[in-house]
Amino acid sequence: VRRFVRENSLSLFFGLIFIASLVGQSLAGWHQFNATQLAEHLDPVTWAGYVTSSNFAVDVSENWQSEFLQFWLYLTATVWLLQKGSPESKELDNVGLETDKDQKVGYAAMTDSPSWAKTGGWRTALFSSSLAIVMGTIFLLSWLVQSVAGWAAFNESRLQQLQDPLSWGAYLTNADFWARSLQNWQSEFLAVGAMAVLSIYLRQRGSSQSKPVGEPHEATGIEG
Amino acid sequence: VYDVRTMFIVYLAMISLGLALMLTVALRHLP
Repeated sequence: VRRFVRENSLSLFFGLIFIASLVGQSLAGWHQFNATQLAEHLDPVTWAGYVTSSNFAVDVSENWQSEFLQFWLYLTATVWLLQKGSPESKELDNVGLETDKDQKVGYAAMTDSPSWAKTGGWRTALFSSSLAIVMGTIFLLSWLVQSVAGWAAFNESRLQQLQDPLSWGAYLTNADFWARSLQNWQSEFLAVGAMAVLSIYLRQRGSSQSKPVGEPHEATGIEG
Repeated sequence: VYDVRTMFIVYLAMISLGLALMLTVALRHLP
């Protein structure tokens, strides 16, 4: 058990703070929601009622989609785009999908390579993009959930104001949907760009995401 | 092998469960 915890500490740590934050979000969001209900002379809801509401679902899913979009874009953009001096970038002469030898696929696979890296054909092609496919699928599903939950929440508040509900298609072009999406995207894109650029001149000793402290500022594609 | 498989499965399960629950909740609230 002790060895399992040590060897999985990164995913265990983030899994635990994810759960704790989600619980915290549900409690703070519940109080915030009930304060609004009271101000509008409506009945407060229970915590269980709040976490099964479309309001909670849209708030969670809009953040999920932006995170998975960020990592999906980062993963695929770093195949083709470079940042000289950044440990987040590949070396400058390595743009693109690289050779089979570099990637250890097909004839260049090792004895302990995954079997789908060895076979060639569609299996190797699929496996070669499997991380981007899964991250991109989670992004699209989260964004779909955001659109449905946001639609339901938006229509609930319209009905309270005695306005007609919108169709799902109309909600997709509504400012509420795009304001929620873009407010999350802008911060993700800034943070990703900042990480790529600030890591040129700045260091975190011991981190896999930083250059070694003594590495020259011009060095590209070297992680500690 | 089992050590690296465990957290992979835990995370995929956590994400799938979250998406499924949120979609169920959202669909239930449609007018």
